[in-house]
Amino acid sequence: MQREVGTLPLAPALRARLAAAGFQTAQELLDTGPCGLSKEIGISREEALEALQVVRQECHGDAARTAGGSGATRRCTALELLEEEQTQGFIITFCSALDNILGGGVQLTKITEICGASGVGKTQLCMQLAVDVQIPECFGGVAGEAVFIDTEGSFMVDRVVDIAAACVQHCHLIAEAQQEEDHRKALETFSLENILSHIYYFRCRDYIELLAQVYLLPEFLSEHSKVRLVVIDGIAFPFRHDFEDLSLRTRLLNGLAQQLIIIANDHKSAVVLTNQMTTRIGQSQSTLVPALGESWGHAATVRLIFHWDNSQRLATLYKSPSQKESTIAYHITSHGFRDVQPPAVTHSAEGTEMNPRKRPRTEEEKQ
Amino acid sequence: MDWDQFDLNPKTIAALKKADIKSVKEILNLSGADLQRLMKLSSADIQCLLKTVSRMLRRNSMLTALQLYQDKDHLTSQHQKLSLGCSVLDNLLKGGIPLVGITELAGESSAGKTQICLQLCLCVQYPYKYGGLESGAVYICTEDVFPSKRLQQLIDQQHKLRADVPAEVIQKIRFGNSIFIERAADLDTFQQCITRRLSLLLARGMVRLVVIDSLAALFRCEFGPSESALKARYLQTFGAQLHSLSTRFRTPIMCINQVWAVGNRVTPALGITWSNQLLMRLMVSRVSLPGHSSGVASHCAASMRTLSVVFAPHLPPSFCYYTVQLEGVKGIK
Repeated sequence: MQREVGTLPLAPALRARLAAAGFQTAQELLDTGPCGLSKEIGISREEALEALQVVRQECHGDAARTAGGSGATRRCTALELLEEEQTQGFIITFCSALDNILGGGVQLTKITEICGASGVGKTQLCMQLAVDVQIPECFGGVAGEAVFIDTEGSFMVDRVVDIAAACVQHCHLIAEAQQEEDHRKALETFSLENILSHIYYFRCRDYIELLAQVYLLPEFLSEHSKVRLVVIDGIAFPFRHDFEDLSLRTRLLNGLAQQLIIIANDHKSAVVLTNQMTTRIGQSQSTLVPALGESWGHAATVRLIFHWDNSQRLATLYKSPSQKESTIAYHITSHGFRDVQPPAVTHSAEGTEMNPRKRPRTEEEKQ
Repeated sequence: MDWDQFDLNPKTIAALKKADIKSVKEILNLSGADLQRLMKLSSADIQCLLKTVSRMLRRNSMLTALQLYQDKDHLTSQHQKLSLGCSVLDNLLKGGIPLVGITELAGESSAGKTQICLQLCLCVQYPYKYGGLESGAVYICTEDVFPSKRLQQLIDQQHKLRADVPAEVIQKIRFGNSIFIERAADLDTFQQCITRRLSLLLARGMVRLVVIDSLAALFRCEFGPSESALKARYLQTFGAQLHSLSTRFRTPIMCINQVWAVGNRVTPALGITWSNQLLMRLMVSRVSLPGHSSGVASHCAASMRTLSVVFAPHLPPSFCYYTVQLEGVKGIK
């Protein structure tokens, strides 16, 4: 992006004009856009567009060369993938029971879907994750930023402030107990204002705005490379009315899922979606199932269903490639998403408390 | 659609016009392959087209949470809410009714739902600094007659309810003039009311509150158990339209709902299809004091009600007591 104009493969006459007009770097050209460019150096719009296309290709080629080519296919062995996956970060939820059944927390590079009826806590968890993704590495976080796409208007910033303040306080307590230098240093920048300023909020009022926003996400994430979480709250709301043609809806949702999978992978981010519940009327009874149909069920890698049992909130891990299906109880306090009771502080092996993987990986994990 | 104003390749613009594509919505509805075939352009050109129209549609759409938090402008701030006219009730709701979204008020009959909504119709007319929105209200009745006499009583007693507001401010407000009463006894009339009448009143800035009393009444007789899919479609369509109006005009929508008995508890009517459309659900009920039979209960106890928050993204489940007095609804600390 900082390529000098003189080194770009443009016609010499054009380069001379650009230099005379004062353009020095490729980024300045791209920022000006074709209309501005054609006006400033006196060429036709078509010529300006073609020139910018060349500039873009050059810069893209540079980036690809330095990054090892994200566009080209990579070949790697399953062992390399395993090692990569084991170092993958998790975003903790502050509810250790939920983190356990998820295998550590909400996983980066995967799509996690949270389904549930109104008021059960989906938006609360999303707000908690938007704060928790920012926890510094020395406290066990991924030190990332968050994108929050809101389709229902349920993002209430005052609630996020409560959650963020509690998280900062939690980290202060850890720092006081452990008295380490990097903790103190990290806390200098981990403040309420900082956390709020790194949650990027987009309001989409219908499915067209949502589709457009997702088309623009890769560019946004390239510019904001520290983003490690993309939340769409909720994915069902804009798609559950206004569709006479259900096959169009299925096609659009599939396209959306594809794009989100690519985004999660390319930008090493967790994608979290919230979904509504709907009633499926069976032969003799009706059950609550996630909305948007059967084919949408394949979009997410991990599916959580939040539900009530009298007045206790429960989370069921319904679908996961590596963790066992199980149900835990959780609580929503003034500080945010939490366990039902404080988890027992055990110094013994953590493996015995963790949700066992479906297939044990190594000998020592086998019971 | 004037494609020339977009930052597009002239080749692309010509292809758009030739393929008779008239809106951004049409472009985004088509798949990449369909677009390539329709416009006879390469996939790189199509990607560029999609990104360009998305950019035009979503210009300046990003805010950080910090900007949301620091926004104190009453025209855009999330902190702005519609007061209920009583500080105890406002405290329960951390300020009042949120301005964007559908809020439901459910409860048994004569629990006080209409009383609260009438009070809101007056509160909305106060200036911003007194918790109002300086505008009128629409009250849509679907079964009962509008309680005009009670409204007049409340208007006459406003100075008593709103002791926090100077008398000259209250006197200047023509309360009766700014409440628009609509009747919609069936689904089609209701649909018309939303798409025509409501849009008009909102677009002209004449109202900043919509009360619907009640939605369940529209669905009582017309739907048998086998027509639940059709009922769900109506509810989703109404929900989406009301939500869209609320977002466009930053106007709270208050929906009154009845309750069904399920076992020994009561739940709001219309099921999860409707509750999926809500931002906030409030319930009102009469207080049943333990150890008292209805004959023994004192007059004061008999008029005690509870207002509880069932769910809201910014409030914990909580409740407070209130009574219905001559001057209106007042919370009890």
